[in-house]
Amino acid sequence: MALLERCRRGELGAFEEIYRAHSGRLYGLVLRMVGNPADAEDLLQEIFLSAHRKLDGFRGESALGTWLYRLATNQCLDHLRSKSARAGQLTDALDDEPAMADGRSRGIADETVARMDLERALAQLPEGCRAAFLLYDVEGLEHREVADALGIAEGTSKSQVHKARLKLRALLGGRTQA
Amino acid sequence: MSCNRYRDAIHELVDGTLGPVRRAELQTHLDVCPECVALVADLQKIRDAAATLDPVQPRDHVWMQIAGRLRQEGRVTVAAPSRHRHLAVFAMAAALVLAIAGSLYVLRLTDTPPPTNTATTENPGATTPVSNDATARGNAVSSDAVQSITDDLAAADQHYQSAISKLQDIAKASGGSLDPDTAAVIDENHKIIDQAIAESRNALQSAPQSAPAQHSLFEALSQKVTLLQSTIALMNEMRKGNSAGAAQLVDRAKKS
Repeated sequence: MALLERCRRGELGAFEEIYRAHSGRLYGLVLRMVGNPADAEDLLQEIFLSAHRKLDGFRGESALGTWLYRLATNQCLDHLRSKSARAGQLTDALDDEPAMADGRSRGIADETVARMDLERALAQLPEGCRAAFLLYDVEGLEHREVADALGIAEGTSKSQVHKARLKLRALLGGRTQA
Repeated sequence: MSCNRYRDAIHELVDGTLGPVRRAELQTHLDVCPECVALVADLQKIRDAAATLDPVQPRDHVWMQIAGRLRQEGRVTVAAPSRHRHLAVFAMAAALVLAIAGSLYVLRLTDTPPPTNTATTENPGATTPVSNDATARGNAVSSDAVQSITDDLAAADQHYQSAISKLQDIAKASGGSLDPDTAAVIDENHKIIDQAIAESRNALQSAPQSAPAQHSLFEALSQKVTLLQSTIALMNEMRKGNSAGAAQLVDRAKKS
């Protein structure tokens, strides 16, 4: 908490320490959420500026990293929603009914999934389950932390991660997801 | 349809969070269901691939822009540098010392006057008068030339000293933006140069027209000016929180 206190007192160096510690993971999350480096850099700036403005309200109930993930996912989802709204599209942030594997689905033929293939498939996921997958399977948060970051119930976090995995399986297996 | 019953259990199996009772139940199903076995394998592949997605470092300018915005909004104060930046600046200052000390070392290798230039004071019979003693031996043309050189040197020296004095005033007024360790490294840098200046002056007193000694003095004075300019610029960049700008200064100092 000493570092946070120094930030609250307006010490730029202390805030830079927080930035250095978290910017890589947050930028990875944001970039994979929005898919565009220029937008991701703008959003990362906004996330840290927002974090600095809200530092007084951070009481440490959750880890600082989880709190930053929450700010980041909110910024990303807002950005994607406003972008969709501008384009006149309707998107569902969270998918209600996870798809289930069925006997006709084609599995992943390769022994392993290439990183780039996964990146491409991730970009095609609905944003809500993409965020849950990134936080849980990529960033390694627990479901309660994902739920906290996304402002959803823990059970919803699980169902969104499961949904994302099944959609990824379909995308990586070459089957067109309904 | 029976596969749906095992949906969550399959994911939990992949996550490693499935308890032993449900695991045994799932295993019974997997023994007779190749589709679900394939699903487990594929989900594991996806989990493994997800683990290879590393953090991505944003470009340096992102932090610069954040720091600039925070300063603009008056949300931060200029404070002691963070340990990260402290170490970076300390390394920059050390690089500056190496660059300047290295160049002076080269000068010292070349500033030993050739024996013929100083021999006259010890050898009154020498035919090439090059010291002040030459005046006493009645060589009027050489004496004028020597005096002219001495005057030019004094004027140039005065010019440098004036510039150094002004820069020192600016550096003093800008003081406080460097941490003590970095300031100590820069002080050490100044001591090296001051010593080179003193040694060059001593050499010129005994041989005023020694070209290597003249070169050494003016090179050291020039280095002093450069170091003061770099120090002031470094102070300005650190006050602005611009670590990248400070790094560029050192790069330039290394190349100069």
